Amino acid sequence: MSSYRLSAGGLIDRATSLSFTFDGRDYAGHDGDTLASALLANGRRLVGRSFKYHRPRGIVAAGSAEPNALVTIGRGGRTEPNTRATMQELYAGLEARSQNRWPSLDFDLGSLNGLFSPFLGAGFYYKTFMWPGALWEKLYEPLIRRAAGLGQATREADPDRYEKTWAHCDLLVVGSGPAGLTAALTAGRAGLRVILADEQFAFGGSLLSESARIDGMAAPDYAARCVEELRSLPSVRLLSRTTVIGWYDSNVFGAVERAQKHVAMPKGHRPLERFWRIAAKHALLATGAEERPLLFGGNDIPGVMLAGAMRSYLNRYGVAPGRRVAIATTNDSGYALARDLERAGVDLVAIIDSRTQPTISYHGRARVMSGARVTDARGGKSLSGLTVAVGGRSETLAVDALAMAGGFSPIIHLACHRGGKPVWAEEKHAFLAPQDLDGVTLAGSVTGAAGIAACLADGAAQARTVAAALGKKAAHIRADVEDDVVAAPQPPLFSLSGVKGKAFVDFQNDVHVADLGLAVREGFGHVELAKRYTTTGMATDQGKLSNANAISLLAQAHGVSPAEVGTTTFRPFYTPVSFGALTGAARGKHFQPVRKSPLHEWAAKNGAVFVEAGLWYRSSWFPRTGETGWRESVDREVLTVRAAAGLCDVSTLGKIEISGRDAATFLDRVYCNGFAKLPVGKARYGLMLREDGMIYDDGTTSRLSENRYFMTTTTAYAAGVMSHLEFCAQVLWPDLDVQMASVTDQWAQLAIAGPQSRAILQKIVDEELSEEAFGFLAAREVSLFGGRLNGLLFRISFSGELAYELAVPAGYGESVADALMAVGEAHGICAYGVEALNVLRIEKGFVTHSEINGTVTPADIGLGRMVSRTKTDFIGKAMLAREGLSDPVRLKLVGVMPLDPAASFQPGSHILREGEEATLENDQGYATSAGYSPHLKSTIGLALVVGGAERHGEQVMIWNNLRQQYTPGRICDPVFLSAAKGGQGA
Amino acid sequence: MPDPTAAAFELTHRPVLVPVALTSPCIALLPLPEGTVIQILGPAARVEDVCAITDATGFSLRGNGPGQWFAVGDEPDKFAELAATLPDGFTAIDQSHGRVRIAIEGESVGEVLAKGTGVDLALFETGRAATTLIGHVATHLARISDDRFELLVTRSFAENVWDDLKIMAAEYLGVSHE
Repeated sequence: MSSYRLSAGGLIDRATSLSFTFDGRDYAGHDGDTLASALLANGRRLVGRSFKYHRPRGIVAAGSAEPNALVTIGRGGRTEPNTRATMQELYAGLEARSQNRWPSLDFDLGSLNGLFSPFLGAGFYYKTFMWPGALWEKLYEPLIRRAAGLGQATREADPDRYEKTWAHCDLLVVGSGPAGLTAALTAGRAGLRVILADEQFAFGGSLLSESARIDGMAAPDYAARCVEELRSLPSVRLLSRTTVIGWYDSNVFGAVERAQKHVAMPKGHRPLERFWRIAAKHALLATGAEERPLLFGGNDIPGVMLAGAMRSYLNRYGVAPGRRVAIATTNDSGYALARDLERAGVDLVAIIDSRTQPTISYHGRARVMSGARVTDARGGKSLSGLTVAVGGRSETLAVDALAMAGGFSPIIHLACHRGGKPVWAEEKHAFLAPQDLDGVTLAGSVTGAAGIAACLADGAAQARTVAAALGKKAAHIRADVEDDVVAAPQPPLFSLSGVKGKAFVDFQNDVHVADLGLAVREGFGHVELAKRYTTTGMATDQGKLSNANAISLLAQAHGVSPAEVGTTTFRPFYTPVSFGALTGAARGKHFQPVRKSPLHEWAAKNGAVFVEAGLWYRSSWFPRTGETGWRESVDREVLTVRAAAGLCDVSTLGKIEISGRDAATFLDRVYCNGFAKLPVGKARYGLMLREDGMIYDDGTTSRLSENRYFMTTTTAYAAGVMSHLEFCAQVLWPDLDVQMASVTDQWAQLAIAGPQSRAILQKIVDEELSEEAFGFLAAREVSLFGGRLNGLLFRISFSGELAYELAVPAGYGESVADALMAVGEAHGICAYGVEALNVLRIEKGFVTHSEINGTVTPADIGLGRMVSRTKTDFIGKAMLAREGLSDPVRLKLVGVMPLDPAASFQPGSHILREGEEATLENDQGYATSAGYSPHLKSTIGLALVVGGAERHGEQVMIWNNLRQQYTPGRICDPVFLSAAKGGQGA
Repeated sequence: MPDPTAAAFELTHRPVLVPVALTSPCIALLPLPEGTVIQILGPAARVEDVCAITDATGFSLRGNGPGQWFAVGDEPDKFAELAATLPDGFTAIDQSHGRVRIAIEGESVGEVLAKGTGVDLALFETGRAATTLIGHVATHLARISDDRFELLVTRSFAENVWDDLKIMAAEYLGVSHE
């Protein structure tokens, strides 16, 4: 006895045949089917095994709340575990597999867990696997994970694309049932920009499963007519297969569109899923209500399902649930199903109504058992019979399908995502959304309204109110409904007397009634504790079906109203969201933006090895044929720069043009050293402090004309310094006439360093570059290539050699670099990268952000004399006078070398006094930079050490606790190479 | 004194984007010529002064926040000409090499851009401009006509933004350009 396809009826295209497989067996369904409806149509009722006890499970629901029918879809990189069969559209070639069973779904050894169920109650794992603790990670957890679980994620890369997009609207309508449709129509007709989103592939919500008639037509036809009109309205956008999963600040809603989850082979240029961020002036939630399961022994046996779901399978998909059907109901809604089953010719055995006086008049053939309730179901893998308690006695019924109509819980999740708590409404026997939400209105059965007519009217009325608030007048929508079953809310049914088997509250996590009782007895009765102790509501369905019953049981155990128990917190997401959708297009090489220097291609064709520096790709070194390792290349580059010349791309340095009448004053205030008296045509090295007196950034600033300066910053702090300067100009000193613009991207900047640099540059620079004409720290606009190009030339050095930096318009950068390499060839020029640059500057004791790491003052790095004593104020001046900053135990810059030139050490290594124990109490400071100097034939480094210069010559231990390395070394002057030939330090 | 080889050196300008458009009946991505881009700073209240000059010199003017504008044109090397005509109180900064222009047009332009920017394009009339994000990168967006926009991006990010635009437009171009 099982479910089957009816010979007629339903919104399926019987002319089509879609073949699919489930656990390797071939089946067929129709266009318009879900995987769930197609499985039922094929008589397949057992579709999964439960999480803990491996109990046989069937399809309970018809929508996104389905807790049982979780299957794995697809293969290879497209494998998707835990797909709800009720939400998966059928397509030709679909491959589905059941989960959490071995060796097969029908014969699952894991079901032996059920025999141990007396020991596997709530808290079992907490109590059992406590000792010995060491076994948890290696033994217990892997075993438990194997025995209990859901589907397995694939380890292959996902071949499909995902993306994110924005949408804006006046009104977002969530849900396209009766209330959503009339709301969207009302607002759309009034000219509002409307987005109507529904998680199903067809619009219409409950109307698609409804047998009532609206305006003289079948309910699905009425829905289709509404949708057709909505499609014709230019200001309305319809999003099907789109689940609104969260409500966020500024009335932005998150939604996931399953754009190509319903096709066998997704098209490569379209996304598989699209994540929508919908900024709505207002939102109307017409999200409907979820039916509550009833509690009786074996309420999880395949063949037992929700009455509304059974009605969907019957009316929408043309599937009969079984040959002999019973309905257990607490309210009138069960009678709508009874009517439809009998019309379809399905044998309805009994209506088991918990009320002694049913309020609806029923004229069908089925036996109505009043004041009755199901206590137990039988059947194992497929329902075969029921035990019913009626009039003080027990009766058995032979049935193969049972519908549960336990009343309704409004789907208020979205309304509670921003902190609002659900409110218990005694007269509706349900939790409702908090009142007076800002930017959100609810309409239809989500408010507890019952009946189609009420929902149609409520949607239209609420939309009119929203339209009026947005300044639009909207017309009424009226509809006549025939055969509307209006089920007045009834209290939930909670007598469990006579129940013998396990009555499940949370199907997916295998939480049954006794578990909740145990939680209360053991002191975990608070709703938040009970959830965690029993795991009720913690599965992938987040308790959509179970929470209402769990709360009522807790209330009953405490003897209070559900209002006092309250709910657990509703948080996004409403349904599970794939990582792909959250990631969007930002994966692989698009994970983060790539920032390229204008000399990137020049460096690439010269063989550069690139290193990521923030988002920048910087040339690290330039290996040549025959060189066997990076060190060999770097050593050569360092030696070449000091002996001849080198060319290095320094375009990534931040560059800011500063102008205005008060530009000089402005610079005087942001730098700790003076700039007002800097002559036109000169550059100066500057230190920028934070308000707390620590160094923020360094770099050179050149005065190009009286009121125009060119500032350079470090690569890392380029954006930060720009923001800092804008803050200073706009907030601290709005009275100063100063403007600034970032010109980092405008210029390609080339460092030409080494004794031959002047000779090489002179070949392309039109002006005289002699010492007299263009001395140390000269900075001027120059003409290049016989007047064909202008650039900015600076006589500054970051290597301590005679050196220049030449800035040319970025588009010409590569060409100018090519020219310099060509004319420099005879002078022995080489390209060098940031690794060599680092060695060159350490050899000279020049600092970078490795040293100025936010903890050092100018005096700490030997630049105390740079700080102006005459300026009345500059940023950092006041705090620099703190006595702590002149404490003799402050760390100060020194050089450090290993005693054995063949030894090396890492930056970050700590400095210990010779012979002292390696403890943090004995810590004397740490190395900030290190590199191999081919000139000194030794590793050299800079360090911040207590006492600084007083300790030059002292032997120390360089301690690397991470690598357990101890390197005997000596503290020395940070300037390893004394004044170079012809060059001066910057 | 320039070296003879240097004087003879062929100085070439390398555009950051390959100047090849990607088009379909509903969308087109167009790298624009690296012409002239000038950043103008000055008193916000005197916008008419700036308009008068850019109109007279044939530049297109786009706002970039209070007291900041971009003047753009297809012809290169026009910085000096415009800078010379700016009245006192304004500063012109040459960004011709620092910013790269990309046009995007076609009936699906709104759908494509919505994948990058949170700006409500339905309320973003022709002539308006704003700095926004395309993906992760700050981009200056200007509406040129009903179905044409121009993006102004920093040179170092231009390739990245172009690649992102290709992905955003893929379903309308009908092919995946990854």
